[in-house]
Amino acid sequence: MNGVVIVGDGPTAARLTRRLRRLGHDGPLTVVGRSAWPAGHRDAGPGHPAGTRVLANTPVTGLDRARRLVHTAGPAIGYDALVLATGGRPLVPPLPGFTGACGRPGDGVLAPRTAEDSERAAPGRAVVLGGGVLGVETALALRRAGRHVTVVHRAAHPMHHQLDEVAGALVARHLAERDVELLTGRAPAEFTPGKLTLDDGQVLDADALLLCEGIVPETSLARAAQLAVRRGILVDDRLATDDPAVHALGDCAEPPGPWPAPDQADALAALLTGRRPAFPPGVLRPRAPGLDLAVLGTRAALDDAPETVTFTDPARGRYARLALRDGRPAAAVLLGLPHGIAALTQLHDRGLPVPADRLAMLLGTPPRRGAPGAELPDDAVLCRCNNVTKGALARAFGTGARDVAALAAATRATTGCGGCAADIGRLCRTLGEEAE
Amino acid sequence: MNRGTLLVVGHGMAGHRLVEEVRARDRAGRWRIVAVTDEPHPAYDRVALSTYLAGRTIDELSLVRAELRNDPLVAARTGTAVTAIDPGARTAHCADGATIHWDALVLATGSRPFVPPMPGHDLPGCFVYRTVADLDAIRAAAVPGRPGVVVGGGLLGLEAADALRRLGMSAHVVELAPYLMPMQLDADGGTLLKGLIAALGVRPHCGARTVSVDAGPDGRVAGVTLAGDPPARLAAELVIFAAGVRPRDDLASAAGLPRAERGGILVDGHCRTGVPGIWAIGECAAPDGRAYGLLAPGYRMAETVAAQLTGPPGEPLREIDTSTTLKVLGVDVASFGDAHATTPGALRLGHTDHARSRYASLVLDANAETLLGGTLVGDTANYAPLAALTGRPLPTEPERLLADGALTR
Repeated sequence: MNGVVIVGDGPTAARLTRRLRRLGHDGPLTVVGRSAWPAGHRDAGPGHPAGTRVLANTPVTGLDRARRLVHTAGPAIGYDALVLATGGRPLVPPLPGFTGACGRPGDGVLAPRTAEDSERAAPGRAVVLGGGVLGVETALALRRAGRHVTVVHRAAHPMHHQLDEVAGALVARHLAERDVELLTGRAPAEFTPGKLTLDDGQVLDADALLLCEGIVPETSLARAAQLAVRRGILVDDRLATDDPAVHALGDCAEPPGPWPAPDQADALAALLTGRRPAFPPGVLRPRAPGLDLAVLGTRAALDDAPETVTFTDPARGRYARLALRDGRPAAAVLLGLPHGIAALTQLHDRGLPVPADRLAMLLGTPPRRGAPGAELPDDAVLCRCNNVTKGALARAFGTGARDVAALAAATRATTGCGGCAADIGRLCRTLGEEAE
Repeated sequence: MNRGTLLVVGHGMAGHRLVEEVRARDRAGRWRIVAVTDEPHPAYDRVALSTYLAGRTIDELSLVRAELRNDPLVAARTGTAVTAIDPGARTAHCADGATIHWDALVLATGSRPFVPPMPGHDLPGCFVYRTVADLDAIRAAAVPGRPGVVVGGGLLGLEAADALRRLGMSAHVVELAPYLMPMQLDADGGTLLKGLIAALGVRPHCGARTVSVDAGPDGRVAGVTLAGDPPARLAAELVIFAAGVRPRDDLASAAGLPRAERGGILVDGHCRTGVPGIWAIGECAAPDGRAYGLLAPGYRMAETVAAQLTGPPGEPLREIDTSTTLKVLGVDVASFGDAHATTPGALRLGHTDHARSRYASLVLDANAETLLGGTLVGDTANYAPLAALTGRPLPTEPERLLADGALTR
């Protein structure tokens, strides 16, 4: 028995090993890392649990999937289950000033992996490049720390991979209300310490430049092993690649929806120990206090579902778009609706259908319990062209106008655009049944 | 008793409703009515204009019933343009040289199509879509199997596209907004409608601006150019402008009657102009400053003026209801109340059933308790009851109101 072999030794790998042990995985557990120091020694995170075989400073040279072997410069390592956690590196635009000596970030340039990393940014005015999830989180974190922040974003609205225009505009408004300057549809051209020049010639004061335009997944090993790779290594909702013995997670993987890396580690640990994962893909909740935003499922699922429910409240900056399949949430974007986010996340995780009163669910109000049908009041206008009320029609019916033509002659109802003819017919039948 | 002359300038749907209302209420025969129109036909059903191309005759479309035709107190003068009115002398001058004296004047001149002043807008092969004469001209110019372009993806534009389709042409619709019928619908509804219309063979081009109509070697329309980088070109044998209408208020303006800021003859809630004895109704009028391009408001205006001509004035028109239901290219569409959620704090709940190609939205007040309006696409069975509930507390959970037969009585 060869057990689980993890290639890559970042925080996600460490979370996976700890989870596996906690869930009772007692077989061999091997981590193969490139770095001289294993996870936990290099960074602030906890390391691997006792009994983990950690091969530091061991680049992987290839995979033999048929024989289930990981090749290294030293002896090959056999596996029953292989996990690729090869990570990725921040996307750095190939522009003057962005990269310094030896490929390190240039002076004043920082590539944060989480919003907390922004604490390491140089003091002074900050420019965040990229208005995706990390960019927005980072900008808001900097702002909370009292910094002057500008976000430069290439697309027309923030978080455009996750959000439609309406939700994107609301996030833009959230940023504006917190005095974060947002420049959309712009790209950088050049950085010199203290100055960022944009493609339209505008020059921004930038004592610190934070690169948040995404991660380039490290996929060369997977590609060489002929696993399916698009941008990242393609995995399904069980984090399996197209080879069921090979899994991938974290920055190197491309799952079918938003799925935070720690949740992926927890889910994979559950799957590898024969359990049902607690957190299927995937709810994305940007970490920014005051921004109640949740993205569930993919943009594609949001656009393709057979049923869509939308809620807009521009005055209070609230928005929801729910894509339903068989009455169950397939994808959603919710903004400014904390109760709705909580309720929908629960439904999604448990695969439950949404309740009949969707508005009450979104707003967190008690569901309405009305009659299945509602009777119209007598002063309700049924023929709008001619301003004829239900009461007037009932009176005409009472004086002998017993069909649509007679009602039309008596009241003019249906003689305008004619759009109400079906309703008048229905009323006629109801009145007739009552008269009998 | 003294019999007065009531002159109605414009014999369209609103003008005709006024004639009917006055005749129904004026038991003593106080008014002799002269209705003047520059069209060759007395009032006809303009809402059903597209059925003219499907074979309905002008007589079948006529709104003038036999008893009114034979009414000695009603005279309709067709093919007669009024060129000037003189409020002091209480006269109207006609293009044929006639002068008509009036004791009461109701202006019901309607509206004219707005033609964006782009290069080529007046080339041979450019049309508008408002009158029977316009349709005759379009029919004469139609070339089956060839493309035609409609500029404007609102109600009128889609009707025009339907007309082109009936004439065997392939219809393109160019709309500036990112979806169809932006005046009536929101983005989700207008997008669903776009898909439905496309499935019927009409080619919608949304979020597109027409920059010019282009001539071929023969000097006639050969296509249109859409803004873009690079600009797109659509071939066209003919172009129909359906980019909105403008109130015909020039006759009134020339006579010194005030004009509303955004066009239309400025009238109060009783449709009175500033001059005693002169009213304006229908699409040419702007009660309290706002003009309406819809039938029902015109009818309300006609009724309120008829009441004043035959008795004491009733309540002034306040919130004019712009709710409407219609069928475009076989697709049912409706909007009611505050369909665009312009009420401060208003909420909107939308529901798209892609499988059945239906969309519905409900606009609610800030507390989600009162129905303020909404839109329906693909299925308008609940239109009348929903419109009737507008302004009232929700009787049940909102989405249940959209279900089949939720409100049947």
